[in-house]
Amino acid sequence: MVYEEDQQMMMQTSSNSIYNTITTTTDSAFLDDVILPDFSPSQAFEPTRKRKSADDPAPKPAQARKGDGRNRSLVAKKQTGGKKKPSRSHGSNSSCGNGKDGRWAEQLLNPCAAAIAAGNAARVQHLLIVLRELGSATGDANHRLALLGLRALTHHICPTPNTTVSAYTFASAEPRFFQKSLLKFYELSPWFIFPNTIANFSILQVLAEAKNYSRNLHILDIGVSHGVQWPTLLEALSKQPGGPPPLVRITVMAPATDEAEIDQTPFAVGPPGHRFSASLLSFAKTLNINLRINYIENHPLQNLDAQVIDGSELENLIVSAQFRLHSLSHKAPDDRTRVLKLIRGLNPKAVILSENNADCGGDFPTGQARRVEFMWKFLDSTSAAFKGRECEERQVVEGEAGRALVSRRWMNEGMGRWCERMREVGFAGEGLGEEVVDAARVLLRKYDGNWEMRVGEDDGGGGCVGIWWKGLPVSFCSLWKLAPVID
Amino acid sequence: MAMAMDETPVIDMNMVGMEFSTYSNSTTTSVEEETYWTTSCPPVLGWSDVFTAGDADLYGLMESMIHETDSGSPLTSAESRSNLEMAISMDEEEGKGLRLVHLLMEAAEALTGNRELARVILVRLKELASPTDGTNMERLAAYFSDALSGLLEHGAHTKNVGAGGRGGGEHRPADVIAAFQLLQDMSPYVKFGHFTANQAILEAVAQERRIHILDYDIMEGIQWASLMQALVTRKEGPPLPHLRITALSRGGSVGRRCIGTVQETGRRLVAFAASIGLPLSFHQCKLDSDEGFRPLSVKLARGEALIVNCMLHLPHFSHRAPASVASFLSGAETLNPRLITLVEEEVKVAGDGQFAGRFMDTLHHYSALYDSLEAGFPMHGRARALVEKVFLGPRIAGSLARIYQMEVQAEPNRSWWEWLGSRGLMPVRFSFANHCQANLLLGLFNDGYRVEQLSHNRLGIGWKSRRLLTASIWTSSQQE
Repeated sequence: MVYEEDQQMMMQTSSNSIYNTITTTTDSAFLDDVILPDFSPSQAFEPTRKRKSADDPAPKPAQARKGDGRNRSLVAKKQTGGKKKPSRSHGSNSSCGNGKDGRWAEQLLNPCAAAIAAGNAARVQHLLIVLRELGSATGDANHRLALLGLRALTHHICPTPNTTVSAYTFASAEPRFFQKSLLKFYELSPWFIFPNTIANFSILQVLAEAKNYSRNLHILDIGVSHGVQWPTLLEALSKQPGGPPPLVRITVMAPATDEAEIDQTPFAVGPPGHRFSASLLSFAKTLNINLRINYIENHPLQNLDAQVIDGSELENLIVSAQFRLHSLSHKAPDDRTRVLKLIRGLNPKAVILSENNADCGGDFPTGQARRVEFMWKFLDSTSAAFKGRECEERQVVEGEAGRALVSRRWMNEGMGRWCERMREVGFAGEGLGEEVVDAARVLLRKYDGNWEMRVGEDDGGGGCVGIWWKGLPVSFCSLWKLAPVID
Repeated sequence: MAMAMDETPVIDMNMVGMEFSTYSNSTTTSVEEETYWTTSCPPVLGWSDVFTAGDADLYGLMESMIHETDSGSPLTSAESRSNLEMAISMDEEEGKGLRLVHLLMEAAEALTGNRELARVILVRLKELASPTDGTNMERLAAYFSDALSGLLEHGAHTKNVGAGGRGGGEHRPADVIAAFQLLQDMSPYVKFGHFTANQAILEAVAQERRIHILDYDIMEGIQWASLMQALVTRKEGPPLPHLRITALSRGGSVGRRCIGTVQETGRRLVAFAASIGLPLSFHQCKLDSDEGFRPLSVKLARGEALIVNCMLHLPHFSHRAPASVASFLSGAETLNPRLITLVEEEVKVAGDGQFAGRFMDTLHHYSALYDSLEAGFPMHGRARALVEKVFLGPRIAGSLARIYQMEVQAEPNRSWWEWLGSRGLMPVRFSFANHCQANLLLGLFNDGYRVEQLSHNRLGIGWKSRRLLTASIWTSSQQE
């Protein structure tokens, strides 16, 4: 579905929720096209085979990227004879404007962070003045990055409420506009929908492998999708050969709101009072799924236990932790491992972990350079997603992402480190089924040619699926089960 | 002898007015010639009502920036925090001039680093600054960003050197004449060069009957009109000496046009000399195709005092290749001249020798020049715009292309006076009278101008603390 039609549709709806629109419309194509890309019922999912080895021949043509010497992963090996879209170019060379030379905003922001750390006021002033001249809310990713980065540096020097990075945030958006923006972003960029889709496929894979499929399904949602992830899963569940589980429970761990707003994890907090349960429940009803949704609010992840989530021995508990755990302190105290242990203590059937695949910063200049690089990937890929169109939807999503530049809770770790932590607390990596990987690849083809998927690379054999933008890692998605107890 | 020279009557400031009256009353000259040689007094408005330019005082801006970046002492964390906070608050209030300087600075740095960044900054500068309107700083920034754009696109190819950023180096002759006259009226730079050299020449040839001047770049010949006046009216020494002027003309591609111009200048000089009754013969001597100088091609006569005159970087002069200047000076040296007069732009050897550092120095230089022109005549924006378009814009492009090339070739920046000194030429003392004359000249303009006695044979003229031109005088070691 093209953008304009979609927008019209949004405008026409008189209800105040896009989910109402979804549930009241009988046009299932709308669902497929807007929020369920490549997850249509026609792609029947049968998680039977697992990937056996790296040399397993590809059942379908893969996206070939011959020029990428670094891509030595599973995917790369499967590419011989693959169909290549000639227009796609790999991002790590400068000829197509993706090289360091093309990323000029960082050439100003990073030296400025270094000058701040060195206390060189004259240099800071010089760079701030230049950034002010070049930064803009519109224009290419560099101009936008310059603006957001400038505000972040200003805020760092002088942290007052007046120096926030962005006036546009999810929390301050009008609820209906927030939903519209989020859906548009999901439609146009794989940033979140890609890991979300892999997560959903993983859930189905786990259920198919479970002996007691007829048990209730309980999903613990520690995520940032504001519910957008679940309609596709519900639809797929309803199409399972044995029908959906007797009860599907979704327990949403809302982010604790005790922190100052500026410091909350980007993407996690929506407008006050925004709940997706009503629309999702009525959608489930149309699918004849027995759905129950619980919100757990103001409950820190650090106190997670079976009682809090009202868990039961008799249900299949699957924890979906996506883009939230990096906000936990990773040392002194190590809340991150602590929460992973608590999750382990819930005895889940499986855990899905999606996170930003990026290193955490050291001192201020290093950390800021990494945060800025993250923003570069976000803004550049979002430019491509919106095909350069300036619109408010893009601005609100970017404004929300921009908060990562100042958030003290933005403490990424690389994929390898996350996998290590998971193993430390007693999880074992579970390979994603071939169908999952293939479906993910098909999904990614819908988006800009600079996106690529890499499987099983640098994760210590975790079988993670990574998504990369112009040769830079963005995020990864991984599936874990309890490690077998060794006597 | 030096003492005797000191007592020689100075050309003095009468020249300024006298030249005008004597010459314009002469019936033998055309209106065009008048336009060329009229060195009229500055208009009445001017130095009496000095304007404090405020935000537009871009030279002050440059000064403060240069001093800011120099301070490198370590600070306590509390100090540095409050400094940083000040960096933000200052940032909020800054005027457009400062923003332009910062953008130019960053563009220059990026030119040898991240060229995409340089391109983006230059796009922004084009939005902010135009060479035809706006403040001084805006016009200056426009010329500098044009020059940088040229370097970004084409590099420092020779065809760009000296050519104007906007519309190339070609201007209508009427514009060039008008701009030259305005430059003369608005600033003391050209007169300083001519008067200081002429006074030294007069003192050196006080007792001579035959004087021969070998002139590297004669341009319109205006320098010699005042010298001739002074020779005719000199009270001491033999009356009406015979003057011979040999003007060098450029070879190569610009040669043909240059020969025509030099011939025209000669014709005009001869006519002028006749009108005041001074015997003058005029010759032309061609440089090689690569602008090298062959001393043997100069015809010398026994018993004449040879003067070598080398005006290099007056604001309206076009750039000459260093190899050509070196060839001229070293060749002239072998002719055993009585006096060598040299006027050149002051170059700062300081800095790390990187393009960005030299760029800032060049910006500092031209900001002083622009500022001095504006301070004297704040209301004459259009006149200044013409001078800028015809002379300064192309010079900026040329200067930047050369320092860019230096970066590539790692050439050292050196003054010609240092070069002459290192070759064993003997410094000649500037007379007290000459120094006074320079002071007197500057007194006619804004009081931001300063004369500096840099050494006994070197005088500098500057705007505020920035030295712009230096004059030095030398003699061959073979003389006496």
